[in-house]
Amino acid sequence: MTKIIVILQKEWSEIIQQRALMLTIILLPLLFTLIPIAAITTTSQIDLSSTNTSTVAIAKVMPSLAGMNSKEVGQALIGMQMSILYILLPVVITSVIASYSIVGEKTSRTLEPLLATPVHTSELLLGKSLAALIPAVVVTWIAGGLFIAFVALFAVSNHVFSAIVSPGWLIIFLLWTPVLGLIGIEMMVAISSRVNDPRTAQQFSVFLVLPVIGLIFGQISGLLVLGPIFALSAFVVLVLVAILAVWIVTRLFQREVILTRWK
Amino acid sequence: MNAIETNKLTRTFGDRVAVQDLTLSIPAGTVFGFLGPNGAGKTTTVRMLTALISATAGTATVAGHKVGTDNHAIRQSVGILTETPGLYDRLSAKQNLIFFARLYEVAAARADTQAEHYLRMLGLWERRDERVGGFSKGMRQKLAIARALLHEPKVIFLDEPTSGLDPEASRIVHDFIKELRTEGRTIFLTTHNLPEADELCDMIGVFRTQLLQVDTPANLRAGLFGRGTRVRVVGNAESWLATARSLPFVHNVTALESTLSITLDNPDEQNPPLVQTLVTAGAQIRAVEPIAHSLEEVYLELVGK
Repeated sequence: MTKIIVILQKEWSEIIQQRALMLTIILLPLLFTLIPIAAITTTSQIDLSSTNTSTVAIAKVMPSLAGMNSKEVGQALIGMQMSILYILLPVVITSVIASYSIVGEKTSRTLEPLLATPVHTSELLLGKSLAALIPAVVVTWIAGGLFIAFVALFAVSNHVFSAIVSPGWLIIFLLWTPVLGLIGIEMMVAISSRVNDPRTAQQFSVFLVLPVIGLIFGQISGLLVLGPIFALSAFVVLVLVAILAVWIVTRLFQREVILTRWK
Repeated sequence: MNAIETNKLTRTFGDRVAVQDLTLSIPAGTVFGFLGPNGAGKTTTVRMLTALISATAGTATVAGHKVGTDNHAIRQSVGILTETPGLYDRLSAKQNLIFFARLYEVAAARADTQAEHYLRMLGLWERRDERVGGFSKGMRQKLAIARALLHEPKVIFLDEPTSGLDPEASRIVHDFIKELRTEGRTIFLTTHNLPEADELCDMIGVFRTQLLQVDTPANLRAGLFGRGTRVRVVGNAESWLATARSLPFVHNVTALESTLSITLDNPDEQNPPLVQTLVTAGAQIRAVEPIAHSLEEVYLELVGK
């Protein structure tokens, strides 16, 4: 346990000295908080009754909006689309931190002296994973918490608040965040074994972001209803994917493999 | 007691044999020079002996621990200076050392004192809080050496410790290695710097995938070129070739201008009768000196085979 904490502290000491990394960790959640808040406050003024879209038709696609007036529907729709953006944060932040963490060890040639110490590779992997996961989860939850607070303040009705901060979204926000972050880290470790530049590694993280974006579009188009059952079922699947990813990466992150096969 | 023992240690990568049947015994307290050309398998050997990679065949024991089964204990017992210093540029010198000390299971308070001890010893104490990214190559190398010693290992692997260092920094590292030897530590030194190996090593192994020769530097020279004496005479040395050849213990004699180069089994015992014979025959002798072959000659002879 001590070694994991030692690694964690070292990683954070390095992270806080990297401006680009700190900007990503701070600015991205800030944007992800300000944009939805701006959208929510602005849409409180929009009334869909002037458009051709009938609230009844929208409610058919999104049952949670049933019974709302056109003003409520407008704000709830925007809020719901914005709320789903938060699942991007843990993936992006962990990918950026992990890519610097692992590729950084390769470029500074610190992996061999590190592996020569009596540290278990599982401790090393866990220390590095936590160093990326903890800030990602914390900033995502803080940003999401602010979003919830602003929705509570600016929602035109309780109906709207319940539609945006729905049980399904809360499950996604609270449970998916660490698991998605973990998957992002594992993927970045796997990618880092093949590349020597953090930016190249980050470009590959697009493959992980794509399904998340697909989810966002599914929600926007109404093809996907992110209710509690879907959120919990997907959470179980994500946990299984994360376990598989950890298993693969643990095999990849062995001294012998790192020193003889990593490029 | 041997600090390092290997028996037919072998490592292959696919079809390529990197290390073949390496059998070595290095007594505790020895500075062992491991010489060989690039790609000879030296780094692979060090990696096997420091439990970083496994052996394909054979066995090895380091600091009393068996490679392959006691890997964790080996990593606790050995220190290693890798080919490149491998330091965290964004951390200070002290932060780097304390981080590694903690991974080497040195208690927090002792890690601090150990870091101070080695930073002072290597002349880096005044720069302890500076980022390593701003350090010169020599300073980085010294810091990497300090890192290898924080947990006071009995066996230390140094891979090219003076590579790229200026003469002054090299001297500091040489003196430091000598000091470590006086402390009774075993040092496995990989180097291309043959005068360095000659100066520092008690034993030398010349290696190219297989161990070509292992012995003390003096015995290596003697074994390969024989022992010899150089006799400087007044006038042309060719006049005394026949006289020297007539002696039964003389193996080979060559003459060049005023110098006779004579190969003997035991110069200490055979020089007096040799000189007496030459003087009796009328030679006027200016000087008698041992023929010293450089380690470089030995190395090139062995590796070039």
